[in-house]
This record gives sequence, C-alpha cells and structure tokens, in this order.
Amino acid sequence: MRRATKVLRRRWRTFKRTPLGGLLRLFVGRMFHGGAEAGSDSLGMGVGVLLILLAMPGLLASLLMLEEYGSLIRYMRGDGVFDPFVATLPDEYFFIVLSMFVTGVATLWRWDSLFLDRRDYMNLVPLPVSLGNIFWANFCAIVALAGCFTIVVNAVSVILFPAAVVGSQDSILLLLRFAAGHAVAVLMASTFSFWFVFAAAGILLAVLPLAMFRRISLVARFAIAIVLLAQVGSVFTVSRFVLDPSHYRSTLFPPFSFLGLARAVWGRGGEPLVADMTKASFASLAGVIVVALVAYALSFRKAFIRIPETPDAGPLPRAKVSFSLPASLFAAFLTPPQRACYKFVAKTLLRSEEHLQVLMGFMAAGAVAAANVLTSPHGFTSILTGNTPSLEFLSVPLILSYCLVIGIRFAFEMPVDLRANWVFRISLEHRWTEAREVSRRVLLVFSLSWLVPACFLLTLLFWGWVAALLHATIVILCTIALVELSLFKFRKIPFTCVYPPFKSHSGVIALLYLFGFFVFTTYIAQMEYWALLSPWRAIWFVPLFLAVVFGLRAHRKQMLDMDKELVFEDLPATGL
Amino acid sequence: MLEARGLSKSYGSVPAVRNISFCLMPGQVLGYLGPNGSGKSTTVKMLIGLLEPSQGQVLYDGRDIHTDLAAYRKCLGYVPEEANLYPYLTGEEYLDMVAMLRAMPEVRKRRTIRALLQLFSLWPHRHVTLGSYSKGMRQRIILIAALMDNPDVLILDEPLSGLDVTSALIIKNLIQALSARGKTIFYCSHILEVVEKVCSHLIILRKGQVIAQGPTTEVREQIGNSSLEGVFLQLVEERDVSQVANEIVDVVVST
Repeated sequence: MRRATKVLRRRWRTFKRTPLGGLLRLFVGRMFHGGAEAGSDSLGMGVGVLLILLAMPGLLASLLMLEEYGSLIRYMRGDGVFDPFVATLPDEYFFIVLSMFVTGVATLWRWDSLFLDRRDYMNLVPLPVSLGNIFWANFCAIVALAGCFTIVVNAVSVILFPAAVVGSQDSILLLLRFAAGHAVAVLMASTFSFWFVFAAAGILLAVLPLAMFRRISLVARFAIAIVLLAQVGSVFTVSRFVLDPSHYRSTLFPPFSFLGLARAVWGRGGEPLVADMTKASFASLAGVIVVALVAYALSFRKAFIRIPETPDAGPLPRAKVSFSLPASLFAAFLTPPQRACYKFVAKTLLRSEEHLQVLMGFMAAGAVAAANVLTSPHGFTSILTGNTPSLEFLSVPLILSYCLVIGIRFAFEMPVDLRANWVFRISLEHRWTEAREVSRRVLLVFSLSWLVPACFLLTLLFWGWVAALLHATIVILCTIALVELSLFKFRKIPFTCVYPPFKSHSGVIALLYLFGFFVFTTYIAQMEYWALLSPWRAIWFVPLFLAVVFGLRAHRKQMLDMDKELVFEDLPATGL
Repeated sequence: MLEARGLSKSYGSVPAVRNISFCLMPGQVLGYLGPNGSGKSTTVKMLIGLLEPSQGQVLYDGRDIHTDLAAYRKCLGYVPEEANLYPYLTGEEYLDMVAMLRAMPEVRKRRTIRALLQLFSLWPHRHVTLGSYSKGMRQRIILIAALMDNPDVLILDEPLSGLDVTSALIIKNLIQALSARGKTIFYCSHILEVVEKVCSHLIILRKGQVIAQGPTTEVREQIGNSSLEGVFLQLVEERDVSQVANEIVDVVVST
C-alpha cells in the first residue's frame, strides 16, 4: 500500500512537471479562485470558505431531517414504525433538488472561469505549448471542478441523512442500502446539474458571436437560475407526481427521474415506472454530458482559436436600460458631490457584471417566491377576485421590494475596481456624511420607481381608486422603512470599500435576512389585508412608519461623530 | 505656495520617507526623482492628504492642509501613477462625475469637458467605455480630470506614461505653459530628459532621504555633470549599469 502511494506520488510529481500538468494546475487554480486579475477586487473567498458554503445547505437540510426522523423525537410524538423507503420519498426528492440547485448555482458562479479566454490565449499560445495540451488541460480542470462540486455539495447529506432516517435501526445492511440509494441519486443529480449549466454555456459560446455571447450571458444565467429555483418549488408537488400514474411522462425528466434511481437501488427496480425513471436518468445524464463535450470542443474551435481575429471587446457594453427620468427626479435635490456618487452607484449597479449578477440572483429569488405565492392552493383567479385585494396579491410587491432592496444592499458591499476609488478619496473628506443619503436614493429609485406604478395600476384595475391609493402608499412606507433599516450603520460610498470579511456572525445575518423576509412579506401583508377591509385602519401604518424612521434617526444622532464618518478601508496595494 | 516641512513617514518601524522639506512657489515646477522604493509615492500621498505624516507637515499658503482638506483639494489637480478608472463608465461620464465631485458649476463643467475632450482628441470616443480605451487614452482622461477645474497646484505622477509622441510633447509644453501662468507643479517621473526640460527645481531621493535639492542647473553644477542622467547615476545608482547589462547578457548567453 505504502509502495503504491509512493509510486503514485512520484508519478504525480513527474506529471506536474509536464506542460499538461502545469496547465492543469493553472486552470484548476483559475476555476477555484476566479478569473479575475490579481489585485482586482472580485469576491475573492478562499477555497476553504467556498467549500464550506457549498456543503452548508446539505448540512442544514440533514440536521432538519434529524428532527423529522430522529427516533427519540418520533417516540415523543407518538409516531410508530415507518418504511424508510416510502416515507422518505419527498425528502429524498428534496435532497436531489437541493444538490442540483447548489451545484447549478456554483457552476453559474464560475461560468466565466470555465472557458479559456483572451488572457489565456495571450499568455499561453505564444509559448511552445500545443493547443491540444491547452484543450485537454482545461477539460481535465473542468472535470475536476465538477467532481469537487458534486462531492462537496453532497458529502454531508450522504452520511447524515441515512443516519437520521435509519441510524436507529439495528440493520447495518439497511443503512448501507439506504445510503447507497441516496448517494447515487444525489451525486448523479449534481453531476447532471453541473454539465447542464456547462452545456448551456458551451452551446451559447459555440453558436453566438463572442460579443453577442457576452451580451446575452447574464440573461442566460438569470434564466438558468430561474429554472433551478423553480425546481425547488416542485418539492411541494412531488408526491402528486411520483405516486400518480397520470404524471408518468413528467417523472421521466430530471429532477424526478433521479428519484427512480434511488428507488432502484432501494430494491424497487422491478417496478416498471421505477425502471423507466432509472433508464431516463442515465439517458439524461449521458445526453447532457455528450452535448457538453461537443459544445466544449466547438466553443474551443470557434471562440478560443479565433481570439486574435476578434477585437478585444473590453468590459460589457453600456446598459440600454435608462433610468434617466426617475433618476433625475430623485437626484434633483442632491448636492453636486451627492449627484456624482448617485450616478456612479446607479451606473455601477446597471453595468458591472458582477453586481448585476447578484441583483439578478435576488430578483430571481423574489420572482420565484412571488410566483409561488400566486400559484397558491387558492388559485390565481381567486386571488384577483373579491371585494378587497387578497393576501397573496398584497404580499407580492412586498416580496419583490424586499428582495430588491436587500439584493442591492448586499451588492453595495461588493467592491468594484478598488484601485479606481482614489477619485473619491481625494475628492471627499472623511467628514462627508452624506453617503447614506446617496445609497437611500438609489435603493428607493430602483425599487419604488417601477414597483409603485405597477402596484397602483393593477390594484386600480381590479379594486378601484381607494384600494389602489392605500396599497401604493403602504408599499411606499414599508419600502422606505426597510431602506432605513438596511442602511442603519452604513457610512460608505457603495462599491468603494474592500469586501467585508466573513465574520463569525455572518450566519446570524443570513438568518436575520430570512427572518426579515418572513416578517416583511407575511406579517405586513396580513396587516395590510386587515387594514384594507376598512380603509381607516390603514392609518395605523403611519405611526408605525414614523416610529421606525424617527427611532433610527434618534439612535443615529446619539452616535459618536467618528461612527458617522465616511470610511474607505485601506488596501494593501492601492493604485496611488 | 506649497511647502513640505520635515516630512517623515514610517510604516511600522520601517521608515519610508525621512525629513523632506521643500518650498514650491507659484510658477515653479519641482522634479521629484528617485529609484523604485525611494519614497516618491509616499511623499505624493502625503502631499495630496491621503496619508498623514508621522512627523512634519504639508502647508498650503501657510496653513496645514489637514485643517481644511476639502478647500485644499479644491485647489489641487492630481494625476496618479496608474490610470485606474472605472471601466464601465464612458470617458464623458467619468469626467462629469469628477466635475460634480469637485462641485464645478454646470455650464463651466460642460464647456470645459467638451473643449478639453476635443483638444486631447478624445471627443469622438467620449461615449466609449473606459475599459475599451488604450493606456494613452486613459492617461489623457486622467489629465483632463486633473486640469478641468483650473487647479492652482498640480501633482503629476508619471503623467507621460503610455502617451504617444504627440501627446507627450503637448503635455511637456502644457506643463511649461501652466507654470508660466503661475501654477505650482510637483512632477514625479522616471524620464530624466523630460524632468530636465520642464522642471525648474529638482529633488533627488534615495532610500527615503533627499540627496540633492535645488534649481536644476545648480544641482547639475554641484555634481559637476552636464546631464541629469549622469547626475542621477552618480547619486543614486550604487552599481555600474553597463557592467550589470553585460552580466545579464553573459547569463542569458551562457545558459
């Protein structure tokens, strides 16, 4: 054994010294650390943090399963004996969807690092390295990344979920069989998700001109994120699909078909539906891998080899979206430096690809949550009928507003070209305390400028003037209060400071975001529903709003001056 | 009048700059020379108020710049060593942003930006994003940003970096013209022939300390060398540059 390890190590050391080995290490490093230049200030988290983030959803979900299947808790609840291979079907499906979602999102995040780009061409092609070596080294790096994502995303659930479900039973064989079924299903689902996203990117790169690919890239990622999120929504309908023969065809498509794979390993392979689902899962995985390989080869030929023939497009072209009218309305009462910062922040949000991605991610989450509410058991038509707006209808703008405000607020913390922030540092003093005002305006313009007219018009269409006015006013008041809360200790010009390090309480912040979402979109919607039953009740929103706004203002007044000053965290290597 | 009085700066226990003093009158151009790591950038950061000196002070018109940094920076134009700009803003948008940060009146802002973009041959590219600009074009944008508010003090850190021959000649003449109009110019550069041509005064740094200072002609005479290159080599370089070059060739050829 030791000898074999030694031989392997020696071979690996020899391989590392070959051109292919060197390239492989280079590309793997680029995929894990991102394609950004050294010193550029993209979200540069270490590999360790990245792996922990990927493993975290599986861990949390598995811990929740302990609560559901733990023998002591079941005993205390008075639950009897259960068949793990039947009772856990919805949860098994949940894990399949979760692993597909996390792997897919991680792949989307690394979308730009997967393919060879101009920098690779300029650095590597002039060297005495064959194109074949570059092609295969990058391919091996992609396979390594796929393997890493697949293993890390599912590692915890492969151990903890079976332990939670059948750990208390005496049979080790039962545990192993259950674990094997779960592991095969989630690993294959993850692999499918990775290659699905990769194939989509490869096809676009192979088919479209490079400039068009870059232009459409963000929209494509947004669309794929929506598809992945929509899969999560299908968790609630899984029992209907899997146990109902009338949905036979749907079960042959991913992610449902991967459930068949788990059931086959669990000993249900003889059932015709399960057998068909298993075949379908293999076929879909093989199909997506073949498509991905072809797309990769084509994109290499078309996009990489022809790089010298295509002009360097530079950064993304200017966004065509114009916020000029609302922007100038909201910027009207700002001082010149505030206006400069306001324009800078608004343009960065619309043009910086990284920030737009984050924003799109939050908006996609909002859109899916809103769609989920609108497709509630009451049905879409019943939501729009009745004397007053329904609870579901009222919660939609609050969901969108929350996701947008929190998304933009999150994006504010992400730096952009920190070496360029010298222009603010030499133009604005630390004593300049108006940065919050700028951020507030941006948040309000980006959320209210379209949300309020849409709310007002839709409510007017179905429920008349009074409801429309009240609903629009309540959305405005709640959004302003949310903006004030989100900017409570904010004293930066957005995008000009280094990324805040992952702190010990970042988990608490994530929970707070979730709690805030729940409160904002559920309780406030319920309050609004109650208020709209008798319009005078809506007056209650005013003191609540004033309490939040003036409470925050009073607290801020008590703060020391130094806690209100503008901050620019120092970088180790600035451009100055 | 820009004055540095006993400026020293240490990073921890490592001194970057030690006891630098000079007085720069309106119309004077001070050339600031030194090899890499000699403390030029640290001095520039202190002069523009980004770093507070460990000892000493920077005075503008007799007042410490940190007493009213905003007012001082209003009179200051700065060209950094590297043209780090926001790549997704267009040239015009960037200048517009800087003008607003400097609170320039709207009409003057538009007129000045337009005129300077035309004079620097960037008018046709004003709607192009800065990320697509060449290095020289970015450098010209930085120069416009520094000049457009008619500053009294100009701090130029390698302003000719990346410029083509014509643009470089324009800038050299521009510095002389600005100095003739009474502007105070601090010029940090490696290009000795330009420094020799445009600077009335000279400071040469080595390891954070001033080793030669005074009017350019006087420094040359003191060292007894006719060219600034000779002065620089004599004062700063510890090695024989031609010998080092030959050694490099030997290594390359023999391996």
